[in-house]
Amino acid sequence: MTSPDEIVAMELARLSAAFVAQLPAQVQAVEEQVTAWLDAPQDADRYDVLSHRVHQLQGSGSTFGCPGISRAARTLEQQIGALRRDITAGRVPAPAAIESAMAELQNEARRAQTPSQGPEASP
Amino acid sequence: MHGDHLNRILYVEDDADIRKIVSMSLEMVGDYTVAACGSCADALEVVDDFAPDLLLLDVMMPDVDGPATLRELRKRESTADTPAVFITAKVQAGDMAHYRRLGVFDVIVKPFDPMVLSDRVGQIWQQYRSGGHDVAG
Repeated sequence: MTSPDEIVAMELARLSAAFVAQLPAQVQAVEEQVTAWLDAPQDADRYDVLSHRVHQLQGSGSTFGCPGISRAARTLEQQIGALRRDITAGRVPAPAAIESAMAELQNEARRAQTPSQGPEASP
Repeated sequence: MHGDHLNRILYVEDDADIRKIVSMSLEMVGDYTVAACGSCADALEVVDDFAPDLLLLDVMMPDVDGPATLRELRKRESTADTPAVFITAKVQAGDMAHYRRLGVFDVIVKPFDPMVLSDRVGQIWQQYRSGGHDVAG
């Protein structure tokens, strides 16, 4: 008989596989939203949509076996926040750090697609 | 006043996959009864009939976030004093101070391991029952 723990573990494995399968599309959507926000950084709605999606990736990455995604998303979230503070303070925004963080997120998404490297065990 | 045993948990989380695995873990591993809601509006619809012992709220949600959801739930007689726990990746010192001001009892940090979540919730409940500290306290 399958125990409750085993049933939850099986569902976690299924959701983790689905998460990894959806990662390329998720990261692509983040990239498009980053581009859209950088085109109009004063647009609060674009910022809200972007920051929510990145925050969600940060929260779900490790839960679904991809801690590298959580780390990269956290860095991206911090850089987005820093750029927003620059804009609010009237400083000239320098988006290079966001582009770098975005590239790292894309690298982690590719890594997660490699069977030998992802998904990793939950923390 | 709530009973000694934790049974009913109102859980609000907008991410459907996280909501599913957390609900399964709490129900199947922890043997709790869970009302899982995708938004503040969903929660307000069920909360009076459900009469939870514990509120488990995601912080960063679109439209109405966790703190605003808690404020709405505090207006209801059924949850005016119900202990609240936030689940969040936002745990900077300033965030924790904010949660403390809201009267949140504890925080579960994202990301978390769903397989041990029900144990963590059980520990928080025991701490609450024994009059333990609140968040950042």
